[in-house]
Amino acid sequence: NLMGVRLAGSHVDTQESKTNPLVSISDEPEILYKRLSLLVKGHDKAVLDSYEYFAVLAAKELGISVEKVHKPPKKIERLTLLKSVHIYKKHRVQYEMRTHYMCLELKYLTSSTAAVYLEYVQRNLPEGVAMEVKKTKIEKIPEHIQEPVWDTLPQVEETEVKS
Amino acid sequence: MAAPTAARALRPLWGARCPLPLSPHQAVPRIRPIPEGPRHLHTTPACLKTRAARVRVGKGDKPVTYEQAHAPHYIAHRKGWLSLHTGNLAEEPGAAERAVEDAFLRRFFYGTFPGVLADEVVLKRRANLLVVCLVLARGLPPAKLYFLVGYAETLLSHFYKCPVRLELQTVPGKVVYKYL
Repeated sequence: NLMGVRLAGSHVDTQESKTNPLVSISDEPEILYKRLSLLVKGHDKAVLDSYEYFAVLAAKELGISVEKVHKPPKKIERLTLLKSVHIYKKHRVQYEMRTHYMCLELKYLTSSTAAVYLEYVQRNLPEGVAMEVKKTKIEKIPEHIQEPVWDTLPQVEETEVKS
Repeated sequence: MAAPTAARALRPLWGARCPLPLSPHQAVPRIRPIPEGPRHLHTTPACLKTRAARVRVGKGDKPVTYEQAHAPHYIAHRKGWLSLHTGNLAEEPGAAERAVEDAFLRRFFYGTFPGVLADEVVLKRRANLLVVCLVLARGLPPAKLYFLVGYAETLLSHFYKCPVRLELQTVPGKVVYKYL
């Protein structure tokens, strides 16, 4: 049944190798991330909620495991200013700026997955929303501390200590 | 001390209330029963005198848009924001620069589209891109509108060194929310 098959491009010569100029292949070992923490800040809680749904959906589609999604408490910055341009010290005006937060933590990513996910999610950041990204790298233990020191030293014969 | 004594004589005595002679009926003080019950103060509602971003109530002939009808304490409840950027978030830089840019852009669009702007200009900043959303009344022919749009976009992108995109919407007239 050929109902849903996309036949466009099927006429292309199969001997030509399809190389996508945007994809680069390198032999370097990938950097592994234990945790990728995205802290999203905004003034509007509804916007942050919809962005959370979008980011979690994108992570699930790419197969990235979501560790947790939590909402740190909001911060309110209050200012008390003079109401008038000149004198009238007793009459003031108060303003406040509310910043709501949403923290998304993803675990066990490779650097290329992280790059793709971050690029997609950041290109679709709504206006008035800021994001901070923290990556926790996994590194190999350096060679000089892989084995304990007392195993590597040459064996010294035990001498009796005469008191 | 002659003057004070003379003045004291002219002033009425403390006890005297009525200058006319009293009849026997009036002389007896009438004792009214003291009304019992809860004691209240009669108060009128407080008249708030704040005038910030509010259109004062008038005779009912002043057309007012949704944006103008709501006072600033309705922002985030019934109103949205006219300028969306990250400058005012906690620990984010650039609030003052964005404010100055916004002020200039609003004056620029008020002048570029004279008499045709139906509502306030909405400014959105996505990364480097500045998106300006305008609602215009149908006062100008489309050719002139397109020219003004291109002129505004190129001039502003050269001025602010960032891509500027205008998104227009035309309406037959100003959308009136209520009459004040």
